[in-house]
Amino acid sequence: MAQLNALVGGLFIITVFGIISVRQMLGGIRLFVLQSILLAISACILGVVHGSIHLFVVAGITIGAKGLLIPWLLYNMFSHEIHARREITHVINIPSSLLIAAGLTIFAYFVVHPLLGIDSTPFIKVNLPIGLAGVLLGAYAITVRREALPQLIGILTMENGAFFAGISIAPNMPLISELAAAFDVLIIALVIGILTRKIHKRVGTTMVGKMVSLKEK
Amino acid sequence: MELLIILLIPLVAAVLSLIHTKKGKFAAAMTIIAAFSVFILSLHIAIYPHSGMAQNTPGIKGWLSCNPLSALILLLISFVGLTASIFSFGYIGDAAKKVGSGGVRRYYARYNLFLLSMLAVPMLSQLAMVWIAVELTTLFSVFLVSFEETAESLEAAWKYVILTCMGAAFALIGILILYRGLTIAGGSAFTWSELIAVSPNIPPLFLAVAFLFILIGFGTKAGLVPLHTWLPDAHSQAPSPVCALLSGVETTTALYVIIRLLPVIKVIPNDYASMWLMIFGLVSVGTAAFLLLQVTDYKRLFAFSTIEHMGIILVAAGLGGQAAHLGVVYQIMAHAFTKSFCFFAAGAVLLLSGTRDISSVKGMIRTSPLAGVCLLIGGLAIAGAPPFAVFLSEFSIISAGLAGGHYLVIALLALFIVIAFCGIMYRVNKMVFGRPSGCCPQGLSLPFTCRLTLLLAIVPVILFGLYIPGHLHNLLRLAALSLGR
Amino acid sequence: MPEKILFNVIQVVVVMLFSPLIKGILDRLKERIQSKKGPSIFQPYFDIWKLFHKDEVISDESSWIFRITPYVVFIAPIFVTLLIPVLTDYPLFFAFMGDMLAGGSVLALGGFFATLAAIDTANPYGPMGASRTRMVGFLAEPVFMIVFFTVSFVAGSTIPYIVQQAWITPFANFFSPAHILVILAFVMLIIAENGRIPVDNPSGHFELAMIDESKGLEYSGRGAALMKWGGCMKFFVLLCIFLNVLVSPWGLATGSSLWGLFCAIPLILLKMFCFILILAFIESSLSKLRLFRITEFLGFAFVTSVVAVIIQILEL
Repeated sequence: MAQLNALVGGLFIITVFGIISVRQMLGGIRLFVLQSILLAISACILGVVHGSIHLFVVAGITIGAKGLLIPWLLYNMFSHEIHARREITHVINIPSSLLIAAGLTIFAYFVVHPLLGIDSTPFIKVNLPIGLAGVLLGAYAITVRREALPQLIGILTMENGAFFAGISIAPNMPLISELAAAFDVLIIALVIGILTRKIHKRVGTTMVGKMVSLKEK
Repeated sequence: MELLIILLIPLVAAVLSLIHTKKGKFAAAMTIIAAFSVFILSLHIAIYPHSGMAQNTPGIKGWLSCNPLSALILLLISFVGLTASIFSFGYIGDAAKKVGSGGVRRYYARYNLFLLSMLAVPMLSQLAMVWIAVELTTLFSVFLVSFEETAESLEAAWKYVILTCMGAAFALIGILILYRGLTIAGGSAFTWSELIAVSPNIPPLFLAVAFLFILIGFGTKAGLVPLHTWLPDAHSQAPSPVCALLSGVETTTALYVIIRLLPVIKVIPNDYASMWLMIFGLVSVGTAAFLLLQVTDYKRLFAFSTIEHMGIILVAAGLGGQAAHLGVVYQIMAHAFTKSFCFFAAGAVLLLSGTRDISSVKGMIRTSPLAGVCLLIGGLAIAGAPPFAVFLSEFSIISAGLAGGHYLVIALLALFIVIAFCGIMYRVNKMVFGRPSGCCPQGLSLPFTCRLTLLLAIVPVILFGLYIPGHLHNLLRLAALSLGR
Repeated sequence: MPEKILFNVIQVVVVMLFSPLIKGILDRLKERIQSKKGPSIFQPYFDIWKLFHKDEVISDESSWIFRITPYVVFIAPIFVTLLIPVLTDYPLFFAFMGDMLAGGSVLALGGFFATLAAIDTANPYGPMGASRTRMVGFLAEPVFMIVFFTVSFVAGSTIPYIVQQAWITPFANFFSPAHILVILAFVMLIIAENGRIPVDNPSGHFELAMIDESKGLEYSGRGAALMKWGGCMKFFVLLCIFLNVLVSPWGLATGSSLWGLFCAIPLILLKMFCFILILAFIESSLSKLRLFRITEFLGFAFVTSVVAVIIQILEL
């Protein structure tokens, strides 16, 4: 079980790398879906291990909200963007970006390493550093992207990373907070989606990186 | 029970605001009534303590509770919520031609939801729920920031939502680690009281890592440097009543989470938490002070001053000790009242002049004595001139720091405060005095509700610098007590 | 002892005999997927046979390097065959002569000579292909190293026979994340090293777009035959390393009987067939990357292998 979970963890972090390096918007959404499914699988594994039904519910919510609802929302809101603009730009070239990301992953490991010395199970050992790496890499993805949808996917990746860590370190969190958090993620996607449409309507592009009128002179 | 009612009122008002009426004033009136009743209830909670305010006010067990600090925050939010809703009446009514009555109704619905999420933050006793409430404050206020739907306001809203959501994810990791620590220490419910009770048993390392993440996460929301870049944009592009809420109390609610963790993180050895709080605080105050010297937009001026004040509060929290804690809560209160008043004044000036540019606004005191005087008083008060509340709170923080022997920190803090004072007063002076520039069309007067708001909001700014009512003083003292161990 | 030497020789013979077949099957598969009839699966044999019976033309301007290169390219995979498990899961006579790094460097030697020979004749396309191959080569190098590090980290050795056992003892190790990720990274390496789509198009005929193929354009007759055959064997050997060492040692002969050894041959071929089925599918579903995107492809392979190491450390 621990190894299966570790495998899921490895694939999870690879999807995060994929989100950083992918060039197509559609690819980004697909990777995000895959990532959410991996998160759900890990939740199921932990649910079996801890014998807790509510991790299964978390898995169900994850699949429902992030695997189905959010992609559906994004497809509908950004359908033009997804199909019209296939190549999306990057601030740094992709190989160096991947190297930085690998560095961040190792950094995440060192941040939580002392914690693992105090309290660790085979699951926390994998999920906590990888979850944190997901959060850091998501933040990194936001900073190197200049487009609305990839930045949104970066945010969602960060949330996924936090949840990936969360299911291992807080398996008995009250269910209502999990529900509320899933709801919250949905609102994030919705709000940012609507905002992007407004920007598109007003400015004519979703290259949010080009909007730099507000700064100190 | 009052706590639940406080939460329900804005919710009901939000739904009612969407009702379509002929004149379109219904939503505004609804919001004012809701905000007023929330204010009365909060006042009741804050001033008439139920059998000893040191204990938590009973709410719904395990979900809603209220300690003196949250009562104070609640009072601030509801007061600014009330004044801002009155100010909105005239201010947004002016914009109704542009956005249509549907836009106005949506504005008030979002306004109520935003108020609801902010009110929920100090009341919720579960940390995970607090996180969600803080996140919701962002999400509900995004479209308030982008209300005018200009390219600039959309840009500001974008930066705002992206950066604060980023911060929220970091805070979430911190909260989860904290929860793990709580479980290790044998705690069961993830509430504030439980957390404080078991914190000595939590491995300090867990507390340290969790605290850093929470500081970064909620610090982003409070506008701490280096994650402050969204704040001047969002706080200058939003409509003025929203600015008052954002700058006056929304940042405070984010800071409240960090402040309320003080008794928990005190158990980390070597003054670890104090060190980080002071570093982050000083960097924020310093950066904001120097940025204040070069702004050209008067709403940005006040936004940077918010960053400065958040930094001051953080430094004060880092100093530790009873006196400094009193300084913290006093500063929180003074800043909320003063900053919201400043933004009302700035909003009045904006209504009259139609520009945010400092250099094109001159001689405000002759064009419109009320707006000019308010701007002058606001500028003086927020910069920390005596005899206003901010002066007293800053003074008490500095004296507490000197008494505690933190000479270097206090020296730097004082230096930055003086720089910021010069920066603010130089600009405000130019705007208020001098020959009126031709920018303001003659005969344009402020809507009645705006004038009313200015008169309402100026009361605490002037009053609390000179005299603090006994009840309020008691509340402040108890709130400060709750920050110590 | 003598039968171990005999087995080693049989291994070499198997590699020499069956390597063109694998290539033939792969080519045929790809054509079939594209709804074409495709050449016979024995076409590479016919090609090699035909080339051996043709006259060889060698440029007067070329040096000895050009002349010996076909032999180096041909012999290098044979040397590697001696080191790795092709048919048996126990070490044979020469197995301890070198580890996987040695095998890698012998294969690289063949590549090195091929590169030099391509420059040697001053044919304009040769150096172009050579420089591109080098570019792919040294982007692939770090991935190779990290994969080997991971492998040696897990197994405590780089001798292929020891490594292959480490993945399945206990059986749960087979599903360890490091294993799966290393496999993923290595598949990308095989694609890059053998010039398959999406890195290079092996069936392309446009010299300007070629990477791997353009190096051998100057050869004819026997030289060309040896180069072609050597290329097939290199592919076969890499597949052996991948399938028998990295993925699983299943299907290999365990006992020391000759019968068991011969039984292992169809099983190995079956394993390879399964893999090239996957490879053909990958090749048919992707399009060739632009030259400068190859760095991204290999960068991704690199990250995958690094993640494998990280996960391995996390699990400890």
